[in-house]
Amino acid sequence: MDMKSTVKRSKQKLMGDIKRHRAFYALLILPICYFIIFKYLPIWNGQIAFKDFMPLDGVLGSRWVGLANFTDFFQSFYFTELLRNTLFYSFMKLFVSVPLSIVLAVALYESARPRFSKLVQTMTYLPHFLSWVIVYGILLVLLAPGDGIVNDIIKFLGGKPIDFLTDTKAFPWIVILSDAWKEMGWGAIIFIAALMGIDSSLFEAASVEGASAIQRVWYITLPSIRPVIFMVVLLRLGTILDAGFNQMFMLYSIPVFSVADIIDTWVYRQGLLEFRFGLATAVGLFKGAIGMLLLVFANKLVRRISDTSII
Amino acid sequence: MKAAVLKKIALILALALMAVPVFAAGQADKSGSTQAAGPVSIELWYGAAITEAGPPPQDWAVLQLIKEKLNIDLKLSALPSNESDQDVKINAAAAANALPDLFMVRRDPWLNLIRVGLVAPVDELYAMMPTRSSVQYDADSKVFTTINGKSYGLASPGSIAKNEGMLIRKDWLDKLGLKVPVTTDEYLAVMRAFTFNDPDGNGKADTYGYGAFIEINNFEEGLGRRMDPFMGAFGVAGTWNMTAANAGLNVRNPAYYDALAYVKQMMDEKIIDPNWLSYKKDDFRAAWKQGRFGIMREQNAAFGAESNYAPFDKNFPKGEWIVIDAPKGPKGHQSVGVYTQAFRIYAVSTKAAAAGKGPAIARLLEWMSSDEGYYLLGWGQKGVNYALDANGVPTPNGLPDPEQAWTKPAAQVFTQLRNMVYYNGQIELLSRYPTYTTAVSGKTMSALTIMRDMQKRPWTAAIGSDALPPPNADLKRFYEQGVLEFLTGKRELTKANWTAWVQDFDRLGGKEWESAGIAKAKESGYLK
Amino acid sequence: MKRIRGMAVRLNPADRVFYGLVDFFLAVILVIVAVPLWSTITLSFRPNHFIGSNLEGMFLMPWQWSTAAYKALLGNTGFISAFSNSVKILVFGVASSLFLTIPLAYVLSIKTLPGRKYLNVFILIPYLFNIGLIPTYLVVTKLGLTNSLAAIFLPGAISTYNCLIMRGFFEGIPDELKESARIDGASELYVLLRIILPLSKPIIMTIGLYYGVTFWNDFFHAMLYLNVNHLQPLPILLRNILMASGMNEYVESSAFGEASIQAIKAASIFMSAIPMIAAYPFIQKYFTRGTLLGSVKG
Repeated sequence: MDMKSTVKRSKQKLMGDIKRHRAFYALLILPICYFIIFKYLPIWNGQIAFKDFMPLDGVLGSRWVGLANFTDFFQSFYFTELLRNTLFYSFMKLFVSVPLSIVLAVALYESARPRFSKLVQTMTYLPHFLSWVIVYGILLVLLAPGDGIVNDIIKFLGGKPIDFLTDTKAFPWIVILSDAWKEMGWGAIIFIAALMGIDSSLFEAASVEGASAIQRVWYITLPSIRPVIFMVVLLRLGTILDAGFNQMFMLYSIPVFSVADIIDTWVYRQGLLEFRFGLATAVGLFKGAIGMLLLVFANKLVRRISDTSII
Repeated sequence: MKAAVLKKIALILALALMAVPVFAAGQADKSGSTQAAGPVSIELWYGAAITEAGPPPQDWAVLQLIKEKLNIDLKLSALPSNESDQDVKINAAAAANALPDLFMVRRDPWLNLIRVGLVAPVDELYAMMPTRSSVQYDADSKVFTTINGKSYGLASPGSIAKNEGMLIRKDWLDKLGLKVPVTTDEYLAVMRAFTFNDPDGNGKADTYGYGAFIEINNFEEGLGRRMDPFMGAFGVAGTWNMTAANAGLNVRNPAYYDALAYVKQMMDEKIIDPNWLSYKKDDFRAAWKQGRFGIMREQNAAFGAESNYAPFDKNFPKGEWIVIDAPKGPKGHQSVGVYTQAFRIYAVSTKAAAAGKGPAIARLLEWMSSDEGYYLLGWGQKGVNYALDANGVPTPNGLPDPEQAWTKPAAQVFTQLRNMVYYNGQIELLSRYPTYTTAVSGKTMSALTIMRDMQKRPWTAAIGSDALPPPNADLKRFYEQGVLEFLTGKRELTKANWTAWVQDFDRLGGKEWESAGIAKAKESGYLK
Repeated sequence: MKRIRGMAVRLNPADRVFYGLVDFFLAVILVIVAVPLWSTITLSFRPNHFIGSNLEGMFLMPWQWSTAAYKALLGNTGFISAFSNSVKILVFGVASSLFLTIPLAYVLSIKTLPGRKYLNVFILIPYLFNIGLIPTYLVVTKLGLTNSLAAIFLPGAISTYNCLIMRGFFEGIPDELKESARIDGASELYVLLRIILPLSKPIIMTIGLYYGVTFWNDFFHAMLYLNVNHLQPLPILLRNILMASGMNEYVESSAFGEASIQAIKAASIFMSAIPMIAAYPFIQKYFTRGTLLGSVKG
């Protein structure tokens, strides 16, 4: 068999494959149109990252400036600090919030008290609806140095009150923990939905074989939601440079800028409010590039240990 | 079978494509109708007077009146209620060249809009609205909006100058047998007593000398407005020194170091409410109503207007705040802070000007300043939302339905545009700040008398300092963060460290910022 | 003997410890979540003249509560129209999102599909390169969507995140099921509508909830794209309340009469969250019932 006929054969096979799947392609028409209009046209507009964008000249008419917007960002006085803070918060949130959501989901699933479990599930879901403005209010009630409940307790125990919200050491923990508090129940939903997919006959079998509860969790429950866990972690890695704009914008104040300013808050001040949209878009591209690298790398890793893959 | 699938999909596609125009329809036929010979359509983005109350109703009689009388189809949209949201909305619309015809805009984004050519000069409009120009746009207002020889916006008077003051709890002073403090040292002594000597007599150490929060804007950089009385004691209130002799940035003045050292002492001695770094405006205002501190800088109405004072009155019927002078520093400086002439800019988009809407906009604004427009937008309908007292001052008293008074929630929607007609005239002040008797303690109060008192105190003139170029965002952060870090102890406040920090500030663009500011101030004739 | 998930189970001591720990953990979480929530609830009922520490505020008795904040909110003239706009956005948004996401996720889950890899990359690129506000804004305005509610939900109608999560669930459905239907001559649309969808209720509910909550809370797009007062949805109204005193000017007359601004803020959050909270138990039902694979095999 020579090369040509192999190519031809595989080509024919491909054509046949495509033909067999034509109904699927038909289903894709609308979503693809959607993607082209609402996702790819904006990306095409993203060329303003390389331009000095002038609204009157439009996207096409604006002057090319090469990489000037990117170098403005890289050479910014605060660049290293921004990158460090952003990565710190993203990874910490990934390491704290995701595991917490998983543990919560498993605990809710395993609990032998269905009513109690349901109550906890509903309660943990609620904080997601509190906007950060309100959460800031709650944090102030709890943590204010003057009359916060936590500081009242610290003072009662003879300790020195801590300025949680304006102290550069305490502040990062407040950010991470308040995010975990607000989002753990919400994040658990996806895992709970996944747990519902576990084949209950597996448990029956385990029970017959005398497996302990912990063994069941370890050998059945967790492995069966592993694909979802990988998926969630991979997707979060893809947007690793989004460290939570809304939260930070509400929580940060001048005394903690050095540990609170993240890329997105900087872009908001320096790009969006200062009318430098090329700069803002350039940073968006940079974030995307880093996210893509991480995602491709992590995807390879995950594929080695599991059959989950994003691509 | 397969044909059926395709048919179904085609049907779904068709339905979906039909849905888009249905949703977009509102937009489509609007642009169609403006071309017709009918009324001129003007889209106005206004700053709501009472942001938490809703917008005026769709069938608002005023809109109908404007259509019939002025042949203008006015389309209203309230801007978001906080400044950065407003800026984002306006900047985004600007990026798409989709700015409305007439819109309120803060000065910083407005400068950018001029740079990219999206707002039109309005010099010709002034002559088309004689009445309005005489009450709203004086020479200062025009200087405020003039860039490179052309006026790019209509600047109406904003809040009244010098409407804030130092307030102290007189009942606390009396209880502790203290005199009203005058010098910075006496202030320290009183603040200590307020903190440690239980001025409210509840047996708990839950009071502080001074209360504040961080409130920064371009002309009150650094520690912001609420700390300015202490900066003023050292002659460095506000961002800029606007005297011809010493024009420049206060932060580059050696006296700034002494002022910081004073504030740091307040922090170290814990006689300033430690929450001041985390408070937002609401929290600060809730705190003084709960008696947390005994000295503050507050705005006249936020302190003394009936609804704002009521909770304090209920909590502390025996409590009493009095207006006092700001502390006098070692070299005799004394100032509540800086004052400028505050303006609200309304800009006309280039697009509107090109479409020839200028005269219609002038017609609309001129009407707003006519007697009819002034009262209608400022207070609502006569006999329904307001009545006139013997002196011709609008009053909420004596209306058939008191709930419809313009001061009541139900009718506040009708005065959302009032900031476009108010010019701080005597009638406005009398009606907005009436004399009243407090509900619990029966005091006679008036935010107007309080304001008159506040205005008499020593202030620092800094007219035009809000029109000087703003710092770059990174420099702004470096400035604010650095100054605070010296206070919190993250940086040690020594002469050497301070000098080094100022050098870094200069390197980051502080020097250029100062030069640009001085140049602009000279050009506009702001230096006195 | 103990019943766990309907099964009678014999517990050994280690298991008892395990279940004890699980419940203890849940109890701790409950307290951590409930205390701040409670303080917010009491805040929303706190009378204007309340004086005392925050700790004391939490122990206000219901008969000391004031409903002024809720009354003031309901009395806000814009409330009804904002609420109905929000409901419209919610209904059309969730419908169009699911309508677009389900077919996409389903097709992506077909492992034999030629070009699947490219498709995955095609949908991942926009997810990674979140290009920012302005480029999208330019597209939406060019399409003439400003001042239409569609501008709020169409640009975000497909979330790649949600789509990939859904794809993962579709992949978990055994192929035999689909194959047997196909052998019977069913069309792909039939397989999707009649076999896949009924089996995927939990994930569809979950993703629908994700979309719904996003649309319900979306303040940012409404602020950008709606320039007509009467189209404003609830989040705009609430934001105006939450940020009310953010402006330099302070109003001499309060829009809320008896209630303090803190109480109004807290109350506004609960008012706006109520529909989503009410929807949750309904969705929870699907979490406990439709055990996906079990029903497949059974």
